[in-house]
Amino acid sequence: MITVYGRPGCAISQMIRRWLDRRGTPYQYVDVERNPQARSQLAWLTGGRVRSPTVVIGGDVLVQPTIEELEWALRRSRVGRSA
Amino acid sequence: MPDHVLAELEQEYARLADEIPDSPTRQAISVLHAMVMEVWRTVQREQLGGDGAGVDGRELTDLRDLFHTAPPMDQPAVTTPLEPGIQAPDFALPDPTGQLVRLSDHRGRPVVLVFYPLDWSPGCSQQLDLYQLELAEFRARGTELLAISVDSVYSHGAWAAMRGISFPLLADFHPKGEVVRRYSVWREQDGYSDRALYVVDGDGVIRYSTVSPRLDFVPDLDELLQAVDAAQAVRA
Repeated sequence: MITVYGRPGCAISQMIRRWLDRRGTPYQYVDVERNPQARSQLAWLTGGRVRSPTVVIGGDVLVQPTIEELEWALRRSRVGRSA
Repeated sequence: MPDHVLAELEQEYARLADEIPDSPTRQAISVLHAMVMEVWRTVQREQLGGDGAGVDGRELTDLRDLFHTAPPMDQPAVTTPLEPGIQAPDFALPDPTGQLVRLSDHRGRPVVLVFYPLDWSPGCSQQLDLYQLELAEFRARGTELLAISVDSVYSHGAWAAMRGISFPLLADFHPKGEVVRRYSVWREQDGYSDRALYVVDGDGVIRYSTVSPRLDFVPDLDELLQAVDAAQAVRA
């Protein structure tokens, strides 16, 4: 499963979610402002660098990735194939 | 290493979070994990290949991403936008080619006015990247995007080229912020605008206006597109 950790008002989160939606790639969205436990989990994954968005794809933890990086990670990943 | 092995290890790492109590050791493990991820990411970026152009080892992509490490801009809003229902103030501002763009040139179709604080800054880079990526959504609605800040035409030109922004960036440079003030979103203490959006219908009437509660808050794009649709419906 792909997880997008984001917060309201974050442009990159909106960009990535819309891009994944268009691509037909399923993902789980977690609002870190409303979910303290998820925020703690995100801190564990990122060494305390809690940034919106952070995308977890397979073995990759991508803090504020570009679309190009996502494309690359999805191509490598078994979870990123379009539905 | 096969990709699925890395994915399994990552899952195991995530699972262990609940089993290690808060401590400097936990923090150190987490930092080490983050370092591995960033090194891995750097390797991937190098495989993707840089653009090869740059100065002192810095590539253009590094300049594009400078906003990630720029000083934050997250102050609360200090202004209230003009209310919907009134005529939008007309203006004539230069685009990066020096050509004057008037709001009244766009009668007959909705226009989205994007007031943003400054070129090169964090929230603005992200917001305009989002609009550029979603430009087809605006084009499909026959809507023009006009972005306005107090930067010069030269800054606008360089920033647009760097980010691949193809819609007009208008320079409210001299007298500084005059149009921003007319639209009631001027931050006197900072010398630039709040982050604000207006949707103006084909008759030049404001149909939607919003000021972000904080400078780093980019309004929901779906809400903006709905406002554009509503502006078209009013005219129809």
